[in-house]
Parts: sequence; C-alpha cells; structure tokens
Amino acid sequence: MGTGRIIVSPVRYDAIVIGGGHNGLTAAAYLARAGRRVLVLERRHVLGGAAVTEEVFPGFHISVCSYVVSLLRPEIILELDLPRHGLAILPLDGTFTPMPNGDHLWRVNDHEQTRRGIARHSRLDAEAYDEYGRAMVELARFVKPILGLTPPDPLSRSPRDLLTLAALGRRFRGLPNTARHHLLQLMTMSAADFLDQWFETDVLKATMSASGIIGTFLGVRSPGTAYVLLHHYMGEIDGSFRSWGFSRGGTGAISLAIAAAAREAGAEIRTDAPVGRIRMKGQQATGVVLANGDELDASTVLSSVDPRTTFLKLIDASELPDDFVADVQRYKFRGSSGKVNLALDGLPDFSCLPGPGPHLRGALSISPSVDYMERAYDQAKYGEFSRRPYVDMVIPTLTDPSLAPPGKHILSCFVQYAPYTLAHGTWGDQREAFGDAVVDTIAEYAPNIRNIVLHRQVITPLDLEREFGLSEGNIFQGELTLEQLFFLRPAPGWAKYATPVRNLWMCGSAAHPGGGVMGAPGRNAARRILGQDR
Amino acid sequence: MPRDVVIVGGGHNGLIAAAVLARAGLKPLVLERTSQLGGCAATSELAPGFRCPALSHRAAIDPAIVKALDLARHGLEMVTPEALVCAPTLDGRALTLWTDPTLAAREIARFSPRDAERYPRFLETIARVSTVLRVLMAKPPPALDERNVSDVITLLGAARKLRGLGRVDAQRLLRWLPMPVADLASEWFESEPLLATVAAEGVLGAFQGPRSPGSAAALLLLGARAGRPISPGGMPRGGMGALVDALAAAARHAGAEIRVEAEVGHIMITDGRATGVVLASGEQVPAHVVVSNADPRRTLLGLVDPIHLAPDFVHRVQHLRMRGTLAKVNYAVSSLPRFAGLGELTDQGQRAAIGGCVRLCRDINAIEHAFDAAKYGGFSEEPWIELAIPSIADPSLAPDGQHVVSAYVQFAPLTLGGAAWDNERDRLGDVTTRTIARYAPEFAASIVAREIVTPLDLERTYGLTGGHIFHGELALDQLFLARPFLGWARYRTPIRNLFLCGTGTHPGTGLDGRAGVLAAREIIRTMRADKADG
Repeated sequence: MGTGRIIVSPVRYDAIVIGGGHNGLTAAAYLARAGRRVLVLERRHVLGGAAVTEEVFPGFHISVCSYVVSLLRPEIILELDLPRHGLAILPLDGTFTPMPNGDHLWRVNDHEQTRRGIARHSRLDAEAYDEYGRAMVELARFVKPILGLTPPDPLSRSPRDLLTLAALGRRFRGLPNTARHHLLQLMTMSAADFLDQWFETDVLKATMSASGIIGTFLGVRSPGTAYVLLHHYMGEIDGSFRSWGFSRGGTGAISLAIAAAAREAGAEIRTDAPVGRIRMKGQQATGVVLANGDELDASTVLSSVDPRTTFLKLIDASELPDDFVADVQRYKFRGSSGKVNLALDGLPDFSCLPGPGPHLRGALSISPSVDYMERAYDQAKYGEFSRRPYVDMVIPTLTDPSLAPPGKHILSCFVQYAPYTLAHGTWGDQREAFGDAVVDTIAEYAPNIRNIVLHRQVITPLDLEREFGLSEGNIFQGELTLEQLFFLRPAPGWAKYATPVRNLWMCGSAAHPGGGVMGAPGRNAARRILGQDR
Repeated sequence: MPRDVVIVGGGHNGLIAAAVLARAGLKPLVLERTSQLGGCAATSELAPGFRCPALSHRAAIDPAIVKALDLARHGLEMVTPEALVCAPTLDGRALTLWTDPTLAAREIARFSPRDAERYPRFLETIARVSTVLRVLMAKPPPALDERNVSDVITLLGAARKLRGLGRVDAQRLLRWLPMPVADLASEWFESEPLLATVAAEGVLGAFQGPRSPGSAAALLLLGARAGRPISPGGMPRGGMGALVDALAAAARHAGAEIRVEAEVGHIMITDGRATGVVLASGEQVPAHVVVSNADPRRTLLGLVDPIHLAPDFVHRVQHLRMRGTLAKVNYAVSSLPRFAGLGELTDQGQRAAIGGCVRLCRDINAIEHAFDAAKYGGFSEEPWIELAIPSIADPSLAPDGQHVVSAYVQFAPLTLGGAAWDNERDRLGDVTTRTIARYAPEFAASIVAREIVTPLDLERTYGLTGGHIFHGELALDQLFLARPFLGWARYRTPIRNLFLCGTGTHPGTGLDGRAGVLAAREIIRTMRADKADG
C-alpha cells in the first residue's frame, strides 16, 4: 500500500462478478454454493441485464429486452432450485402468423391441431412436419450435451482437448448417415434453404426460419442461420417443461430467482455499482475499481459483460497480447434488432382472425413470406431499418395479468432489422420513425392497434448499448455465426472462459455457448473455475 | 464384349479421367453429346476469325496433372499474364494488381498506403493456408464409415500441415472458412476497389453475395489451386480449345477412345449395377464401369432411372443446391477496350494491365446489390462483371488488331420471376454492354459481334443443371466430405460401378482437373479390389 492513500476494501472476495445479468448471477450462485465468497456488481439500479422487468409506465411491468424464456438450462433450474426462489414458467402456446391475404398460419403445442393448421395450407407439409420434428429431436439430442461442454481447442496438443475432440468425432460417426447429413446442413445452411427441403408453404417457412435470424445481422437466406431451428426442439426432449414460455413477473423474475439462489448461498449483490476498471498487477487481475473510486480485492474476477467492454474499456489494452487485442477488435457485434414495448388499452384485433382468442396467447409473428423476411434484411445491409420489419410479438398480460393494470395489456414487439450503424441520420432522430414503422406494420394486420396504444417505449440498438451495455446493441453479446461459436467464441484459443489475464474469466453470452436466456455460459464458467467441468 | 469403362461427357474432367484410366491400362471410351469436346472449356467462333472462350475464360489446370499427363508434349502452353486483375473505377482511376507483388503494392498505395503495406502479407498468408487446403484437395475425402489407413494418413497429413502453419494462421483458416468474403477482405483492407476485387473471388458463379457467410471458403478453395487469393489462372495459347485438344490428345495417346456427337440417353442398370449406356440413337454400349462427367443431378435423376435409388437419396439429389447465377456475354470487338483509368499507361502497359482479368465492381455493396436482385428472380441493372481479353496474349484468336472479350456477368438467376430468358436475352446483353461502357466509353462502338449465353443456355446447351458452373454450389454443406453428398464423397454412387468425375465432386474447384484425376484413381482402386474379390 505504497502511498497509504488508497482505500482498500476490508474484505477480500474469492470472486467478483462484473455484471448482474442472468449469466453473472448464475456464475455467482454456483461459486457461492461451492463456498466461495462472491460479490456481484451491477451497474444499473436493477438486476438482470437484458433479462429484466421494469415498471416503464405506471402499472406496466415490462420485460424491457428479452421477453420469453427459451433455453434456460434445465440443470440450472434444478441445481439452483429456482422454483423455490420464485421462478414460475407459464406456457406460451403457439405462434400465430397473420397473412396479408386475410389467411393465417397458427401452430400450437398440440401436435394434432398444428397438423390441421398446416394442412389447411398444404397436406404434404403437414406430413413433412412430423418427419421434420423427428429429425430435429434426434439432432437436438446430439447437440444438447455440447452446450454444457468446455469447448476443446482443435489446435491444442493437450490430451484432454484431443480426447474431447475424438469423443465428439466418435459421436458424430455414431449418428446414422441421414442425421449426419442434416447436422452438417444445420450448421452451415441458411434456414430458408434448409426448410425448403421439407416444406412448400411460404408462410410456414418464413415463420420457422425467423428463429434463425433473431439477434443476428443475417437474412433467412444467409448460410449459417439454420442452426437455431434446432433450439425449438431442445426443450421438448426434457418433457418436463416447454421450450418457450413466460416467466411469471416478466423475464426479470428469472434473474431475481437466480439472484435469490445466489444470495441464499452467501453471495453479496450490489446494484448501482458500476465498475470503472479491472485492477491488474502484472498479467494478473487482482480485483476491480468501481466508478466511484472504491477498490475491491478479489482473487478471481469474472466478467459477464462483452469482450469489447471487458478488454478494451475495463482493461488497458496495452496490458494484453497484441494478437488477442486484434481478435477482440475484430469480434463482430453488429446489432440488428430493436424492441418496441406498447402499453395497450385493449387487445389487438387481427383482421384475419378477429376478436380475442387463444391465438393471442402465443407468439404473434409478422413473417408473411420468405421474400418479406429477406427484403427486411436487404434494407438493413445498407444501413436502414426495415420499413416493413419482421416483428415477433407477445402479450404477456394475457397469461400473467399482474403485469398491467386491470383491462390493460402489454404488447412486447421484438423488431428486426434495426442496424446499429445507420447510413443516414442518427438513432436519436430515427427512434420515433422506427417506432412508427413497427406500429404501421402491425396495423396492416390489426388495424385497431393505432387506437389502443397508451404508451410506447422504443429501444434502438444504440439504447441497448448505452442502457444495457450491449456493444453495438447485439443482444447475444456478439454475433452467433460459425466463426464466433464453440472453440472460436469469443476468440480462437480463448474459448474456455479463461482470458490472457490470469484470474480473469469470461462468463457472459460472449462465451460458449452464446446468448439467449440460457445461463449456460455462467454455469460453465463457474464449473470451469471450480475445476468441475470434467 | 463390354468395354472396361465408358465415360459420359467429354469435358475436361472426363478427358482427364480417361487419360488417367488409360494410362493404368484400361480402355476407356469417352462419349460426348455435342460435336465439340471440352464442355465448359469450349470455344465459340463469334464471327469469322474471332474465337472466344464460350464459357470459362480461366483455366487453372493443376501443374501436377500437366506434368503427369505430359500435356506440354500434347501442345499445351499456358500463358501467364503480367497482371492478375485490373479494376478500373468509375472516377477514372484503375487499380492493377500486377503479378509481381511489389508492383501491385505500389498501385494499391495510390488508393491506400495502409492496404499497400498489408497486401504482400495477405498474399503470403493465403499462400501458406493454401498449402493445407491443397493437401485435402489432392486426396479423396475420407470415408466416414470405413477405417482405412490411407484416410488416416491424409487426415494426419492435413492436421500436421495445419499445425505447421503455426497457431495464428491455423486459427485464421478455421475462422475464415465459414465467414463472408466481405469480412475476410475487410480484415485486411480498407479501400475500394481492392475490397471488391478481392471479395469478388468468393462469389464467382455462386448464389451468394460477398456478405453471405461461407463465401470466404470459395475464395480460399479457388485460391488454393495456385496459392493466390486472386487467381485468374492462365489462358492456354491458342485459347481454351488448345487445352481441350491437349487433354484429348493425351487421352488418346494413352489409349482412350473418344466419340463426339454421341449423346447418352440413359445408363443401363441391372441388379443395382451399372452395365453400360444406351445412346440417344438407341445404340447400346455395354461397359464394366460407367463414369459420368455430367453433374450429379443430371447423372442421378436424368441418366439413371431414379427407381434404382432410395427415395431419401433421390430427395437429396433433388435438393442439391445448384442455382447458377453466371451469364456470359462474348464480344468480338474491332479494337482493344480502352479503360478510362489506364490512360496514363503506354499501349504496351495497357495491354499488360488488362491481360489478366478486368473486374468491374465499384465496391462490395455494388456486388451485394447485384446479388439482391437475383434473390427475387431478377438481374441487376448494374451487374458485377469480370472480363478476359484472351486475344491480348494470343493474337491468333482474332483478326489482326481486333479482339475477343469474354464477360462473366453476375448475378443472373436461372429462374426469372415473371419473365423468360429467351425474351430477356438481349436486355442482359444491353445491360452488360452499358455497364462495360461506363468504364470503357468507346466499348459499345467497337462491337463487331456479340453472343449472349444465359443461365438457361448453360443448362440447355452445355448440360449444366441449374446453370451452375461448378455443378453445385461451393458452399460449406456441399464441400469436402459432403461433395456432392455426405457419405458419397468418393466418386461412387449408390449404383455399383457408376462413378462421378465432374466438378460436382470433390474438390469442385472448376477447371483444375483434380476431380477427374481423383475419380479415376478411385475407380482403379475399386476395380482392383473387385477383381481381388473375384
């Protein structure tokens, strides 16, 4: 303590986690349960990061960013006993796609009903849907264990890496040839091309392929977008819970449940505690310095924020190897989506299926055709937000009325594409025009929407960056493209949660297996730190 | 008495396969449908005395094949241009990438000193990573379901080469393969037209734009042939016809028989084995082995009665992606095109600068825009164009002082929305002429004759299904182990004694002859094994 002026915290933590999003909290919970003394530091006044519920308008509790539960790992729910800590997943049943010609496509969890819904458009497709489902379940079974794996480095000579790789190779060889063929295609093809092999109904392919582009600056015809189709089949195998649902109390309730589990295990969690920088001694992290100047000691620091913030803002890049800095600078974010949250005085009334009904309780997808989806992407490629975007909507208040005042509703709209970098103007000028484009798009299918909007919250990619710390507004902390996945995420040679800085680890969506409210990076990182990942 | 081997199609791979088989002591018979050998390497006489490459204006025959088949003795002489590519700009400048990297860097410096500094390193890096790819391109892909020593040796060889690159290059290669070629180009460079000139290499003949993931793989593969990121290849002295003549001479010399105007109607199959072919004339040609130089879909769904194939295999063949996007416009011109940006060079200098190929693409976005049109069944008003002027190096191709100009025009999809190619042919020619004239104002006035080859002509006249010049997209799901189909990458088909040898098979890199040689070797191996089995 050379100068004697530095105030050092009286306690020394075993681990400090930067960022109180769902991954940071998950990592903290696992470390705390292993007896570590853990502190979580969240910059905002509220926990959850992008998995957050806020009272944006009086009485309206809105899942501001992430709006459905998709892939939260079942082992996390089980191991952290999240239901006891308040997690309740409510069903989100089905996807309803209104069409401009007055028709619609409606798929629900009930298989027979979905078949009938598809058969209205094509009998062949209804049959193919079964076959497709079977193929995907088989592949999901193959891929699922990989999500919980510390990615092996194919260029390493360590026996452990080689054994893991060999085991993966053996599992691949063990698949029937058809399954291998589909797996290879899933990893590399475009969602639209992949689905073309099964289906002929345009609106069905458009709506299914939409899952492949969410959060990505790619179109449904871009190679590499097929993989996410598999995610829809990940939950089904467990049988115990559905892959898609709402969390009671909004998405933020997931984060709060994980936080409760972490606290119960002894973790300390602070909000309004922005980290200014990571303290370094030589090539080693020794703690953090808060924005207010407080210094906190820790033998391990975990960053759940993205690599750009971690390595280019919280650390002086000159302390890092040049190659690694170059990799971090090259790491692609390219946010492509925005969010429009509407507080409504009633329910949207779709011309193609008027009145309230069960179709409003699921996802409402504006994805009428593959060309529509692709054109939305084309505009974004040249720096404009889509004038007629893909919109994925839910009305959580139909399932969880406590989120809004009686009789009122929330319409949560995920919108793509909204490029972070605009060719003309700034997001400050364009925000309302973007909001208008979304409302106009919805109004083409549900004209009453204009009359029932009480409040509107428009979140641009720039807002995601400024308010939620997601660089360039990428909701997954970096593009989920092949060159940034598995042993390449976030940088080749650094996919095992460790970083070139000793005692500094990554535990956010920028680490394997990536984004979505999955919790896997947080859990995997903690297990790796604890030496439990074998 | 059945023949040893009958080869369907006298394209370059068919001729090369014939030569290799004949040198192994077999008596192959090549059957060519048209009156002219060469397939994509054909020559077209546009007007008396003007001989233009009908389709391909680049040849990159593997030097090992040139040597093994002693093609020089059979009259092949490759002319290596002084410049790889010249990219004139619309503002009256031009970037010439001379074959000599130092000269090229000096040119690049006029656009960006930073790019000039990086260019030599870019070339070196591509040359290094190419060595790994060439190891894989020189051998058949490993069989997944057999354990054989030579596969293990190939894979270990490739792995050793990969490690031998060192960590940085090895990581680059793994990271680059699935990337968009636009991202690969911008990892190195910042200035146009260099970015577009490099990126264009990844979209040649492809149904993908520079922003499509996986397009970098096409650049790396095509580049690996000569170890250069931009490889216009060379032009044989005497035109493409001279290459074909040399290949045919080599095949005949080795003992192969070649018949033209011998269209194969179908392949005879008895008990799941190919037993010969039946010509359109009704003539039967029995053979122990049938090899098809035609593309996989034409072979397996056209020449083979699909009743002999399992339904899910037929499904895979139907969905092989081969949506061609390349059209050709061939010009006979009265004078050498004068590009605005080359005005400061001497006559001799200009001829040298445009002696490789000329790429007309303002920037990456312009190429991407041209691709956008194709996605919706149209062709762009400003296509991406690559020109070759083979008469510069070989004046015998045109009357004195006059020239032939071969133009690749992209993106022209086989299926036009709401129009027929036979009605759009002239519009395509006009758009092409107009676009060239924007860079070379006097071009339009110099045209003596013009030939337009639409994608439909590629399919009808040249037998390229889908109009795809590579017999199937060079996409990650259709390469290496999966070319043309996962499980069938070793030139065999589900029909015993029926093999494929065209560029639809591994490695798929166009006019380099590798597929023909590898197929022939695999056939020899199989025949020997069958003989040993009795």
